[in-house]
Amino acid sequence: MTVTATGHPTVTPVPFDPEVQAVLDAIALNPQPALTRETLPREGVDRMFPDNDTVIAGRAVDWEDRVIPGPAGAPDVEITIFRPRAASGSARPGFLNIHGGGQIVGHRSWETGRVVDIVAEHGAVAINVEYRLAPEHPSPAGLEDCYAALLWLHAHAAELGVDPDRIIVGGGSAGGCLAAGVALLARDRRGPVLAGQLLLCPMLDNTNTTVSSRQYDGIGTWQRETNLLAWSCLLGDELAFSPDASGYAAPAHAADVSGLAPAFIEVGEAEMFRDEDTQYALRIWATGGQAELHVWGGGAHGFDMYMPDAEVSRAALAARASWLRRIWSRA
Amino acid sequence: MTAAPAGTGSVVPVPYDPELVEGLAAFLDLVEVIPLRADTILANRAHFATIIPPIAVQAAGRPVTWEDRLIPGPDGAPDVEVTIVRPSTPSPDPAPAVLSIHGGGMVLGTRFFGTPELIDLAERYGVVGVAVEYRLAPEHPGPAQAEDCYAALRWMAAHAAELGIDPDRILASGQSAGGGLSAAVALMARDRGGPRLAGQLLGCPMLDDRNETVSARQYDGIGAWDRNNNDTAWTAIAGADRFTDRVSPYTAPARAVDLADLAPAYIEVGAAETFRDEAVDYASRIWATGGQAELHVWGGGYHGFHGFSPDAVVSVAANAARDSWLRRVLRLGG
Repeated sequence: MTVTATGHPTVTPVPFDPEVQAVLDAIALNPQPALTRETLPREGVDRMFPDNDTVIAGRAVDWEDRVIPGPAGAPDVEITIFRPRAASGSARPGFLNIHGGGQIVGHRSWETGRVVDIVAEHGAVAINVEYRLAPEHPSPAGLEDCYAALLWLHAHAAELGVDPDRIIVGGGSAGGCLAAGVALLARDRRGPVLAGQLLLCPMLDNTNTTVSSRQYDGIGTWQRETNLLAWSCLLGDELAFSPDASGYAAPAHAADVSGLAPAFIEVGEAEMFRDEDTQYALRIWATGGQAELHVWGGGAHGFDMYMPDAEVSRAALAARASWLRRIWSRA
Repeated sequence: MTAAPAGTGSVVPVPYDPELVEGLAAFLDLVEVIPLRADTILANRAHFATIIPPIAVQAAGRPVTWEDRLIPGPDGAPDVEVTIVRPSTPSPDPAPAVLSIHGGGMVLGTRFFGTPELIDLAERYGVVGVAVEYRLAPEHPGPAQAEDCYAALRWMAAHAAELGIDPDRILASGQSAGGGLSAAVALMARDRGGPRLAGQLLGCPMLDDRNETVSARQYDGIGAWDRNNNDTAWTAIAGADRFTDRVSPYTAPARAVDLADLAPAYIEVGAAETFRDEAVDYASRIWATGGQAELHVWGGGYHGFHGFSPDAVVSVAANAARDSWLRRVLRLGG
């Protein structure tokens, strides 16, 4: 099976929102070379974004780095814990954040902003996990690291002041893939019962066969070529684009999506992952499972992070916060 | 092929949001007192007449005025009644406009089902609204409903200056049957080279006469506007043509072969209702053409949840998301 990128849309794409397009145009003024297997950034990635105190910016949020046990036979895992400074009379909701970057780039510090916002807005205790990346560590290494972090969070709930019945796992892009994978593992291994899975523009389908995966070839913020590279690094050449890939690695291929934690699935209308994310919601609903789906008009991949001030991004963040409130108030 | 009898849903349904359960029960007690069957359509109309407040009551104390008008109907068809809702203090600039198409399965209801939305939009955004009284089935099979609505759209565009509206900012909007008819009006406007709509707001839209999706089977015998009510309505609308490709896309927009080049759509639906899957499918088909459709499927939402349980957290979020889209497509600012 040959799966390629052509560098231009092979199906007419849905246009970007005007405010999104303006930011894409500005980004295009400083073109970056496409990622390749040889040029994946590793050195210094933990210093590319502002440090925790800068991001917290005076808000009443404390942080602490910890090293926790990794999966059986694997190295320890680094995490950062964020929690509200104020004492709480009752246990707080818990959030496990899994960063994006195709599972081939990135660092948990790149998403400190998203995590601190959730802690400050919802009074949650959050864990931001550093998982192993591909191709050095192919699937399922990164997923097992994330699951180890969930087990640790659940086991240390009392120490952390977390209500073990109100833990949500979440992430964007690759983090959404891993969050969905953690939810599948938690069900299948009879692990912690999750209160929810927050899947933001999740990368779910390694086959790259949907209409939207062809519409965002060569345009937008996470393009087909990079997505093909990511799946190749993660699954190896043989399984890279195969429907036989593990459903834990590529949740679109999980044979059974019943009995999962309630899902929040958010995606831009103008991005590669639109169709696979919509399909995942449909499959969950067909089992009687809970999923809330938002496909935001003209949103590029990660629009809420690239264009946080756009009207559509503010609306998306509000809908997301509403879902977190609903889940955390009832679990 | 017909829908299975009530209570025999073969698929496990998605559960309701716990905060909506009470509202759903109240909805069923108030609105769906009489199961909708071929021989209860008239009784349901009589019941609806008792639960839709007159516009004088709806508008009491609100900064709006309203006016009933009779406008030309489709070629060879009777005139059409409309009610125009305006802000009491009109803007000196041309106003955004909304064509409001009411729900009720195309067999029930009046335009005053849709006027609360127009009053709200007039008050908050200075919108000039037109609520259209379209003919109902089975007396008037499809696509008579869509033809009447399209006649109202043409009248709005032709009378834009008189109405004080911006002809480039006209939206077609409705819930349930009104959502399906808004989609039909958007198809007609494209196919006939008619007025260029700024958008189509499809609230829990009724799009597909086949009534056989997974979600239709999940809400068979349960919930608001269940598969059986829907079955009754579609048979009344499409008659012997139902389940065949003789059903016009202006009656059942899911039948349209081509969904390219339509006005930007906003499609919202509950995760726990009959219309969930046909709404998602319609959005997916629009995207595949490169067309615009913002899609929201709200967790645990029953049919019409945000209107009937407006204070639930999920409803507040749904209403805020819709508002955001209105600001974007109608360029309402702030």
